[in-house]
Amino acid sequence: MNSMLFSRQRTVLPGFKLTLGFTIFYLCLIVLIPLSAIFTKTSTLTWAQFHEVATSPVAMASYRLTFGASFGAALVNAVFGLIVAWVLVRYNFFGKRLLDALVDLPFALPTAVAGITLARLYAENGWIGHLLSRAGIKVANTQMGIFVALTFIGLPFIVRTIQPVLEDLDAEVEEAAASLGANRWQIFWRVIFPMLTPALLTGIAMAFARALGEYGSVIFIAGNIPLKTVITPVLIMGELDMFSYAKATALAVVLLVISFVLLLVINLLQWWSSRHHEHL
Amino acid sequence: MNATPSQPAPALPLAAPRRATMEPPWVRRLLIGLTVVFLGLFLILPLLSVFIQALGKGLGYYFSAVTDPMALSAIKLTLITTAFAVPLNCVFGVAAAWSIAKFNFPGKTLLITLIDLPFSISPVVSGLIYVLVFGAQGWLGQYENAEHPWFPGFQSWLNDHDIKIIYATPGIVLATIFVTFPFIARELIPLMQAQGRTEEEAARVLGASGWQTFWQVTIPNIKWGLLYGIILCNARAMGEFGAVSVVSGHIQGQTNTVPLHIEALYDEYNFTAAFAVASLLALLALVTLVLKTWAEHKKNAALQAAAE
Amino acid sequence: MSVEVKNVTKKFSHFTALDNVSLKVESGELVALLGPSGSGKTTLLRIIAGLEFPDPGAQILYYGEDVTMIPASQRKAGFAFQHYALFRHMSVFENIAFGLRVRPRATRPPEAEIRARVDKLLKLIQLEPMAGRFPSQLSGGQRQRVALARALAVEPKVLLLDEPFGALDAKVRKELRRWLRQLHDEIHITTLFVTHDQEEALEVSDRVAILRAGRVEQIGTPEEIYDHPASPFVYDFLGNVNLFHGRALEGSVAIGATEFVVRNQKEATAPAVAFVRPHDIRVMRQANGSASLPAKVVRSNAAGPVANLDLVRQDSGEAFTVQLSKEEFQQLQPKPGEEVFVQLRNVRVFSDDYSI
Repeated sequence: MNSMLFSRQRTVLPGFKLTLGFTIFYLCLIVLIPLSAIFTKTSTLTWAQFHEVATSPVAMASYRLTFGASFGAALVNAVFGLIVAWVLVRYNFFGKRLLDALVDLPFALPTAVAGITLARLYAENGWIGHLLSRAGIKVANTQMGIFVALTFIGLPFIVRTIQPVLEDLDAEVEEAAASLGANRWQIFWRVIFPMLTPALLTGIAMAFARALGEYGSVIFIAGNIPLKTVITPVLIMGELDMFSYAKATALAVVLLVISFVLLLVINLLQWWSSRHHEHL
Repeated sequence: MNATPSQPAPALPLAAPRRATMEPPWVRRLLIGLTVVFLGLFLILPLLSVFIQALGKGLGYYFSAVTDPMALSAIKLTLITTAFAVPLNCVFGVAAAWSIAKFNFPGKTLLITLIDLPFSISPVVSGLIYVLVFGAQGWLGQYENAEHPWFPGFQSWLNDHDIKIIYATPGIVLATIFVTFPFIARELIPLMQAQGRTEEEAARVLGASGWQTFWQVTIPNIKWGLLYGIILCNARAMGEFGAVSVVSGHIQGQTNTVPLHIEALYDEYNFTAAFAVASLLALLALVTLVLKTWAEHKKNAALQAAAE
Repeated sequence: MSVEVKNVTKKFSHFTALDNVSLKVESGELVALLGPSGSGKTTLLRIIAGLEFPDPGAQILYYGEDVTMIPASQRKAGFAFQHYALFRHMSVFENIAFGLRVRPRATRPPEAEIRARVDKLLKLIQLEPMAGRFPSQLSGGQRQRVALARALAVEPKVLLLDEPFGALDAKVRKELRRWLRQLHDEIHITTLFVTHDQEEALEVSDRVAILRAGRVEQIGTPEEIYDHPASPFVYDFLGNVNLFHGRALEGSVAIGATEFVVRNQKEATAPAVAFVRPHDIRVMRQANGSASLPAKVVRSNAAGPVANLDLVRQDSGEAFTVQLSKEEFQQLQPKPGEEVFVQLRNVRVFSDDYSI
């Protein structure tokens, strides 16, 4: 069957050429051709022009903010996501199934709804915002707000990548460790945590990748103050509103290349994690 | 709640011995508490606040906001968009999964990666690529007062029929198809790979035609995975904001989908109306979660059966 | 008239699964395709069914009709898959009825006839009360019987079974293979089945074809191939065997200082290996002239219906195994370390380049 594409085709199941042909056609039409437009558009800029747009002070400020907030959010989610996954897999308590289902809310809730909701909650007169403002903390229209929004949308990635691994962990491994004299904390750090690491890193990378490109849930809470709370997607949007397509495209290329690198990292992590799993 | 073996031993003052693979009760309570507080603060509170704010000015106001002509037009556009995006991606998903799971060919892994690509692209960039293709001076764009350098025929056909792509419904549909592209395919590929091809072969030997095999054997086997993918695809299609925002043009009553209408209301400081319309999408999200949990259960049962 | 394959070759990218195989199965015969994994037996079966396609030049004939280019769905071959491939979303009844229901309207039997036929098959496989169950609610043996009934429902010209008992436990396996033999005696359908279990092949089939590395090594009745194995491979594959290194003489073989009569002729004075089955060795306390070989008892085990004795040759140290009846064992009462003498019967000699 390996040589099927190139040799005389006879298979029992029909439709190979038809379905593969349609798959490739549709993929090219919807994804690959439009995506290549971004690179041809960039090529209308000289390198100097591209460099100027891609490394302008506003652009650099937006990268720093986007990366920083995305990374911070991913780390916070790593800690809380691990706790949430652990609790949902290991313990039984009232309302567990409801909480488990709700973890996917950030996937299911449209980003615009999440955006305005978080913006109102954390506004200075909002439910949470007025409590925090008494303590002198401002969230809405600050970088803190962006961080909050990105934490919201990143949560399910970590929980959902760790959960299945935790469910598949062999109880015998823990029992073996216990019989060898390890206490609970040692068992967690020396036995369980190393086994979760590949999944945890994958989850972090996925949450980080999602946060980098996020738009809808951030714009309402961020306030979009130039050089302070403008993330890269908002910057691209601003260039588009002024019809400066070339500038918008140059920034988009930066974002896109980073996304591809992250995609590669995630694939490598998953490959590593599946290998890790086999060796058990 | 209590996973420690609780023997009925009232004579003993101490609790039953704790299993070696279980944490002390105070640790358990602390972790459960942290989980409830964290999820309560980040998920439940925002969800509740949507509905509370939506009803902030009473039911009458709520219904007038939801049945406002602009809102209705946005709902209509969202439904039209979804009616294109979901079936198209459904056909694509089944075709892609069929070719990838049932046959061997070189480049399969690359194809799977490419199918997943739209997930890793920022929504804003997703919209932008369609502006670049169809917008002014794009490959298939409409040049104002000038002839298109490559496809003048296509441009004059669009102009003759008064069709706009970007800043109009077709652009919104295309951008939505793009962002929801992988949902169904990525659910079906692993499921169909796990199920293999022997049931289809058995049907063929028994005399079934290709179509009969597909409809009577393959489809019943993948229906839960398919449904699961459709539910996710539908939720994203109805809720997409960033990509659609780029290609829409934001004309109230014409090119605003529901999420864009919410943004417009919010920007006018009409918070209650914004939340009233948003509550529709929040309800959709809740329905999605319920259906998804149910379909996921069925789908996992199918996967497990395949693993037997 | 028969099912026949001619010159079937099948090359995959890295290896040759079948190398110019020709085979003829007479009408009403039950033939086993026996071989180790990788010998090409399943590929051959799938090619006969039309699930796989041979390289150009091959011919597959059903009762004289060339079906090489006819798709699987029109060949009317009944195929039972190793893991049954039952449709999991259909009841037992619907699984069996499937092949009748998918026929074009013109040739589809009326509903009443479909029901009657399925009921008859359910009776044949003794699963009438299970008609409404789903495959997941059946045991392995029951699933295999449903798979057989499903294949039989379309009244196939030939029945093809891929490792029909491979996934079952030992006890069910034995029951089911006796049942298959009875079923075949009842309905006399031309049947080919693939197995890697020699005991199964010898017990159930009319003839056995032994495959090795994509070629037919030998074909014949179970007695023929057991008593007259054509090659060391067949000899070894069909049961336990002891190897004695020696030299071939005219009509006999010299092992150490002893000569034994051989059943197959070999040219003289070549280095050779004598093959002897464990039950073809007689053990004695006293040497019987020049026709016996001295050996030492290493271990004895009398658990089970026969007793097993591990011995080593006194002269070369080669180890071998002997099977004794319980009575012989009682008489002999061998102890580890004792010296005994052995006599070999039904010796076959092959040249020295074969090793197990």
